Amino acid sequence: MIYADNAATTKISDSVFKKMLLFLQEQYGNASSQYSLGVKAKCAVEQARQQVAVAIGAEPSEIMFTSGGSESNSWVLSSVRNGHVIASSIEHHSVLNSCYSLERKGIDVTYLPVDSKGRVSLESLKEAIRSDTKLVSIMLANNEIGTIQPIAEIGEYLRERSILFHTDAVQAVGHIPVIVKELGVDFLTASSHKFNGAKGTGILYKRNGILLPPLIFGGAQECGMRAGTENVAGIVAAGYAISESVADMTAITNKLTAFVQATIYGIRAKIPSIIVNGDENNRLPGIVNIVFDGVTGDSLMHLLDLKGICVSTSSACVSGNDQPSHVLMVLGLTEEQAKSAIRISYGRYNNMDEVETIVANICDAYNKILTAKL
Amino acid sequence: MKQIESVDCFACGKKQLSKDEIGLNKKMIGREIKQFYCLACFAEYFDVTAEELLTKIEEFKEQGCVLF
Repeated sequence: MIYADNAATTKISDSVFKKMLLFLQEQYGNASSQYSLGVKAKCAVEQARQQVAVAIGAEPSEIMFTSGGSESNSWVLSSVRNGHVIASSIEHHSVLNSCYSLERKGIDVTYLPVDSKGRVSLESLKEAIRSDTKLVSIMLANNEIGTIQPIAEIGEYLRERSILFHTDAVQAVGHIPVIVKELGVDFLTASSHKFNGAKGTGILYKRNGILLPPLIFGGAQECGMRAGTENVAGIVAAGYAISESVADMTAITNKLTAFVQATIYGIRAKIPSIIVNGDENNRLPGIVNIVFDGVTGDSLMHLLDLKGICVSTSSACVSGNDQPSHVLMVLGLTEEQAKSAIRISYGRYNNMDEVETIVANICDAYNKILTAKL
Repeated sequence: MKQIESVDCFACGKKQLSKDEIGLNKKMIGREIKQFYCLACFAEYFDVTAEELLTKIEEFKEQGCVLF
């Protein structure tokens, strides 16, 4: 199998898996228990908090562990009780659906447009801000096209106006440098399984001094902010995975950039009509989203699956229904074009042989589908 | 496999393709197509096995795809 859907999830790192396994089979104590087994679990959680904090330039007290990116996003958005919220129109559904929920409660939400490359402009944000704007939520990098937003520029502007700023950095953390102080954000969301950690562990950075009411009630875990027995093994995995990703980032970025270039070059040489979505000069290193004229992304994806190659038609969460991607539609693509796109997302375990196999199989599948349609 | 309409394989002439065969063609080639492969010809054309296609059909059904 060739796995090229790393924006959906990643394979857990071997060394990280070994570290977390210990906390499932031997050190399986509840981190709230007072005996040694529990204390060791608590220490492991705190070590992971330290590792995450170092990786994103935060204080350990600013890091909270959740069940995943969706919980972190929902937590921040649901904290708004009145006023006005701004989000970009290409946010992940965990942000957009939280916004729709706010609207049902009578809170106004403005959805910022993006340009044809998927970039939000500071100017459009300035125009959208109102005197009662409480929160702005703009993703750091898009999950479908990889476009990176000007978060630091936006953060500086919002900080001057004391407007809270959240960024969904699920696709960015572990893949590009993310330093919260440089970004000027008050909240940041990350998810361990996107950087070779385990599924089921999310991260929420909350700047010290910012108030955030709990979303989940119960015990006093996470300093009373987020109840529920800690997923110690998953949290341990998050700590080691983020450290590993940050340590290897330069080498992996160079590798993934070469893979994406080879993919675009190889496919374009045989199918000149392809359209590459997103911002070619400002996107995540491993993601490429391509429109194929005359075939559906669904067809291509399933034919590649039959060859043992995993790619995505859009974000994993919306595959399976026949709706075009909201992200691609907002870029200005037609519905037919949006349905003709596939996303290839490379990760640390891919190699150039796999890239060449993917390119060859895409070109072969594309030509066979077109010929069969004649 | 249920029979729904009289559609023949345009490659080998096999009569009365099943709903699953027609669905497979529409899913993998395009919903607008007018000519269809039987399972065996489809497998040969795309260089996969019939067993792999049958597994895929079951997955599509599992996902609730309306074409099957």
